[in-house]
Amino acid sequence: MPRDARIHEVPDDLLAAIDYCYGQGWTDGLPVVPPTVERVHATLTYEGRPPETVIATHAATGLELSVHAAAVNAVMAGCLPQYFPVLVAAFEAMDKPDFNFHGSTASTGGSAPLLIVSGAVADDIGMNADVNLFGPGNRANATLGRAVRLILHNVFQMIPGISDKSTQGNPGKYSFCIAERMRGNPWPLICETQGYPKGVSSVTVFAAGGFCNVENHGGNTPEQVLSSIADAMANYGCITLGQSVVVLSPEHMRIVAGAGWSREEVQAFLFTHAKRSVEGMKSVGKYRGSEYDKQHGASAHALVESGYIHRGLAPDDILITLGGGDAGGHSCFIPSWSRGRGSIMQHGPIGVCIDCR
Amino acid sequence: MQLYDPTTSAPQRNLSRAAPLASLDGKRIGILENGKLNATEMLHEVALLFEERHGCKVGAVYCKLNASAPAPAAMLAKAGQEVDFLITGLGD
Repeated sequence: MPRDARIHEVPDDLLAAIDYCYGQGWTDGLPVVPPTVERVHATLTYEGRPPETVIATHAATGLELSVHAAAVNAVMAGCLPQYFPVLVAAFEAMDKPDFNFHGSTASTGGSAPLLIVSGAVADDIGMNADVNLFGPGNRANATLGRAVRLILHNVFQMIPGISDKSTQGNPGKYSFCIAERMRGNPWPLICETQGYPKGVSSVTVFAAGGFCNVENHGGNTPEQVLSSIADAMANYGCITLGQSVVVLSPEHMRIVAGAGWSREEVQAFLFTHAKRSVEGMKSVGKYRGSEYDKQHGASAHALVESGYIHRGLAPDDILITLGGGDAGGHSCFIPSWSRGRGSIMQHGPIGVCIDCR
Repeated sequence: MQLYDPTTSAPQRNLSRAAPLASLDGKRIGILENGKLNATEMLHEVALLFEERHGCKVGAVYCKLNASAPAPAAMLAKAGQEVDFLITGLGD
């Protein structure tokens, strides 16, 4: 164990131990599983590196996340030991400088780290990619997302009102973790597009704003369905140069992919149509010349239209995948935190070491 | 029952405050912009007060590319060489 690992002796009473955790300020407001030595050690068996190994560092404070501390918080969140490699991979991805997890977790913007698990690992540990995707009911989804929050709270000390200055917060700050649906997915999985060896699963991390449901039960063509999503992406409340996540419901996917559209074609359509005119942006006080110049400068994407602000800088700023139950014309759009490029989504392989440091 | 503590201690860091300037008169100002809306206007307005009241001059303007990330170490080191004090800070 790390030399500075501290142990608290508490009475052999589970409810008293839960209250003890509350008293120490270790919770997100919900009860936690007391992190007993035995459970933490069981979790650590799913990581091959020594417990003192540092997997993430806070850029502003220098606070470090060790494998051991991650395991303690995973237990508290309710994770089973076999979930642990996903959590480790998520923080190694968040540790990449462009994710900027200090800014995205401290900001008034109130973002929450969204985890998207792609590949066979999701099934192996029993994650939900299906009905009620973002809702309750699945232990792996719920506790992995919660473990991220507990680590931000306990290890990185992103304390609401002190270092976490989120104006209104975000329900995803309790837990925001999904699996990519493989069943009926006509497109390559996300992990297959990220350059990993065949069979390697991945977790993508995204500093996410609030969840926006996109309902369309009447559209029967890709253009109709995708136009409603593009409209959500371009709403004045959240149009920025930032990235996007779009999760197509199976019903919408059948319409889109059934017409032969690829992921890249959908990205191009959404990027083209998720836009606002300069005049419109000015009318709500959100136009900034520097942002326009950034999008329309020498390196502008070919689909950028003069006189408009698009969401993102290019079509591949939009991560699109499949998720949710078979019934219902409900997809979703999730905007990035920040008004610009303050955080760029990252990903990492789960349970394997590629180009290890 | 034995519970592991889920928190970690802050690392030992060698942090010290810069010595305060004996006087502001005639000093070189650095402006560290963070890119937030109206940061340029607000920070230059503050600098103007120092110019008027203490005869300071704006020596350099530094621009962070990411408002929410710490200023790059090289940028701060450069500022340390070029100016006597920095004006920065703008939230939402």
